[in-house]
Amino acid sequence: MKISKKTYDWLETRLGIEELIGKSLKGYLLPRNINFWYSMGSILLFIFALQGITGILLLIYYVPDAEKAFNSVKAIMNEIPFGWFIRTCHVIGASSMVFFLLLHMLSVLFMGSYKSPRELNWLSGFMLFTLVLAISLTGYLLPWSQLSFWATTVATNSVGTIPLIGDFLLEFLRGGKLVGPPTLGRFFALHVAVLPVTIAVFVMIHLFLVKRIGISTPPFGLDDTKNRWDDGKFRYEDHPGGIPFFPHYLLQDLTSIALYLAIFVFFVFFTPSLFFPADAFIPADSLRTPAHIKPEWYFLANYQALKLFPNEFIGIIVQALAMTFIAFLPFLDRGKEKHPLKRPVFTACAIGGILIFLALTIWGHYS
Amino acid sequence: MHGHDRRKFLGLCLGGITFTLMGAAIYPVFKFLAPLQTRKSAGKVEIRQQDLAEGEAKFIEFGGEPAVVVNSGEHGLIALSAVCTHLGCIVQWQRDKRRFLCPCHAGLYTESGEVISGPPPKQLPKLPLSVNNGIITVG
Repeated sequence: MKISKKTYDWLETRLGIEELIGKSLKGYLLPRNINFWYSMGSILLFIFALQGITGILLLIYYVPDAEKAFNSVKAIMNEIPFGWFIRTCHVIGASSMVFFLLLHMLSVLFMGSYKSPRELNWLSGFMLFTLVLAISLTGYLLPWSQLSFWATTVATNSVGTIPLIGDFLLEFLRGGKLVGPPTLGRFFALHVAVLPVTIAVFVMIHLFLVKRIGISTPPFGLDDTKNRWDDGKFRYEDHPGGIPFFPHYLLQDLTSIALYLAIFVFFVFFTPSLFFPADAFIPADSLRTPAHIKPEWYFLANYQALKLFPNEFIGIIVQALAMTFIAFLPFLDRGKEKHPLKRPVFTACAIGGILIFLALTIWGHYS
Repeated sequence: MHGHDRRKFLGLCLGGITFTLMGAAIYPVFKFLAPLQTRKSAGKVEIRQQDLAEGEAKFIEFGGEPAVVVNSGEHGLIALSAVCTHLGCIVQWQRDKRRFLCPCHAGLYTESGEVISGPPPKQLPKLPLSVNNGIITVG
């Protein structure tokens, strides 16, 4: 008997691999009308993994010390072989993470997949979204450039507008009155330890919920597009006669990941400068604020919206309320209909929201 | 049969592409992790002879590794690697006893690097040394 067959048999006896594959992969049936948008989660898992790998690689050469951070990043870009490649992948990966999270959330919104009994799926996903924004913000400071220093100053400054406790919170967050070396230490610990672990935990919760409750049925290609879940008791949503996850949908996942990689690699090799403005190449100077400092693209809408309110605190409250509304949407929207065209009010509001977000982002960019 | 051949061919193509892409991803990571070329001191190290009195030893870095120059008086100037040949700890100079001690496992070497006692399997490697106009040059 071949050694590989012997090893397989040994493992099979102990792990029951065939039953596991049969039940969890081939026997894991997905709705027949499943579509491309259901592979957003796999793309995101792939991006998270890539961010983890490139992040660990960068940790080898990055020095989290205000005196040395900028030079260590400069060395990564100019001296370490392929350091520029690893860092550019990490930087563009961060933007991709936010972009694909938005796409994932929008597809879930339009297909009504957030509705009962998947409130917790949505909530854990929303938590992941805010955690990804937090890990992006904390990572932004680490290169200790003029851009990162002043963007963090502007971003954290909003905390100070909260009445009574604002000043205390701001100082606590920064580790001092202003952004400085203590802030770097705090943000570094958050970025490389606290937030990645928290994100990993929420990813596991999210995946557990997806597997436990079952994949939702997309509303397209069906006559009856209502949510069939009956309140009261737990029911796994199975899809008899559906498409097996392995190999059929896994192939779709891999195709989507390959497509993502093609776009990602294009940005890495052909337009890296899009992600590195001029101020990213100047070491942080706490006594000289550059003109027109702006946050990353995914914060531009919030940044521009804040400018529209007469009082910054009111602006923050309005945005916090809007975020809370989105987080708790499944608890507020109890309608059974899932098809976007059969719930025109919701669809109109969602499209309006997207347009406002886009308009504010473009306005923020050019303001 | 024809379809079977085509499936095999496509499988091979896919495998080949995957293998190539994996290589393209692993190569930069390998280069990124590979140790940077230490500037092997084409570099010679120079010290002033007057800074090294008889019975004194001066520790230097030579070719990316710790080394030591001893003014032994009797045997003249000697340059040695300061890395113990047992498990790689750095030897210490015992001025009063005119010998090297490895603090890890008590290996003892003479001032010219020969093993006196302890676990070191061989003597400390000698390094090339020259003296010119009061300047000691190692390398």
